[in-house]
Amino acid sequence: MAREFGAPPVVFPSGGNPTVATGGNIQQRRVPTAPFQPSRPSNSGIPFMSFDIGSSATNTAGPIGGGIGPIGGAANFDEEEPLLDELGIHPDQIWKKTKSILNPFRVNPTFHKDSDLSGPIFLYLSFCLFQLLAGKIQFGVILGWIVVSSIFLYIVFNMLAGRNGNLDLHTCTSVIGYCLLPVVILSAVSLFVPQNGAIRFGVAGVFVIWATRACTNLMVAVADGGEEHRGLIAYACFLIYTLFSLLVIF
Amino acid sequence: MNPKSNPFSAAGSGLIRGGLSAYGEKIFGSGSEYVQSNISKCFSDPQYYFQVNDHYVRNKLKIVLLPFLNRVSEIFLVGIRKRIKVFLKTKIITEPVGGRLSYEPPINDINAPDLYIPCMSFATYLVLAGISLGLSGKFTPEALNWKFVTGMIGWFSEVMLLKVSILSLGGGEAPLLDMVAYAGYTFTGMCVAVLGKITLGYTYYLIILWTCLCMGIFFIKTMNRTLLSEVRSYDSSKHHYLLLCTALTQFPLMFCLSNTSGT
Repeated sequence: MAREFGAPPVVFPSGGNPTVATGGNIQQRRVPTAPFQPSRPSNSGIPFMSFDIGSSATNTAGPIGGGIGPIGGAANFDEEEPLLDELGIHPDQIWKKTKSILNPFRVNPTFHKDSDLSGPIFLYLSFCLFQLLAGKIQFGVILGWIVVSSIFLYIVFNMLAGRNGNLDLHTCTSVIGYCLLPVVILSAVSLFVPQNGAIRFGVAGVFVIWATRACTNLMVAVADGGEEHRGLIAYACFLIYTLFSLLVIF
Repeated sequence: MNPKSNPFSAAGSGLIRGGLSAYGEKIFGSGSEYVQSNISKCFSDPQYYFQVNDHYVRNKLKIVLLPFLNRVSEIFLVGIRKRIKVFLKTKIITEPVGGRLSYEPPINDINAPDLYIPCMSFATYLVLAGISLGLSGKFTPEALNWKFVTGMIGWFSEVMLLKVSILSLGGGEAPLLDMVAYAGYTFTGMCVAVLGKITLGYTYYLIILWTCLCMGIFFIKTMNRTLLSEVRSYDSSKHHYLLLCTALTQFPLMFCLSNTSGT
């Protein structure tokens, strides 16, 4: 039954109209195509940047469109850098640095001279993942504690080392982040250790001492001025890693 | 200006090098010079307080926690006024070096205050409070953050108390960081108290009284050292009783802060 509407029907410039003949049956309505399809050239050296609604071909794209620029539409796709290199993440270096901490008795500091933060971020995420498996959602807490403790160690190290201390915050955070590896292993192991028992403290103690040794050796090797204050810096590192192990134990 | 010659360069140059572009460094550089000149007027070179070594730390801890070891025990048999006078006679004089800071750095003089021990003992107190919270089943990271905030408030109020008492005696020249250091030494006593609570249970109350007494004695001796070098004319009895009051306020402070069975 055709109904008489007061207003004229809306005609879309391209795509289909809901046909009046079916009387507005909702099930039969086709999915309307987008009314503002611009004409996209197939082989594009031209950036895709038109956002005009309603007008068809001519784009009055202002500086906003021009500023977005060639999103992957560069002419030389094959000559782009690989994504990881462009982001500054070098997986083989991360793996070498992580492996150098795995030996608890002697830490090789040669790889840690150039600091990076992508390894620590990966270790932080795996720490949070193991905590999540234990039922504790502590993403923000762990990140906040890493930041605060690296600022703390940075201040203490530079104040102790005096005039010839040259530790910078990036290197400090990088070293603390990499030495979180024993704590990550502790959180994985503590998923299988019974909850109320002295063995929990014993296992945690072993890993904390491992992390402290690694951190102190790296700190003293990577930045100047720390050799005669080894014990004092070791105590500061010990406090930091005990704090993280508290999150795991309790 | 030689970039390494000012005390904040080591701490500050890392931030500047690491994060900011050259333009930002230009802005930040001029701002940091202004801030440095103003900060050094009221903060007096924090580098001085960190010139410590192992030997100093060990001996200083012995002095702080057991302040009467190298004194004769007969001082406990006399009355209050005489006892304080004996303390006054046995202080160790430091040599004036000249310039604004007239004391030797802590590495050379066992009586000089330092900032390493207070900072480390504050952090140790936080760790031990976390362990004690965990053993009673109440550990959450938010509770530990609250302990941190409470500890900082307590430290700050103690610094204010010291500053007010020194100002009321007329000697306004004592450096602020000295008082921050002396206020922070009470955290060592508190660490021992919390350690006692973790390991020994009910003897915690005895340990707290003992450490309060020790910290009070330490306070009297150190305050006496700073005061006598700054203030020349004072009323002797008023001085003594004010020292006693300052020492006695240790008690409620330590009770509050080490009460980990609360919030």
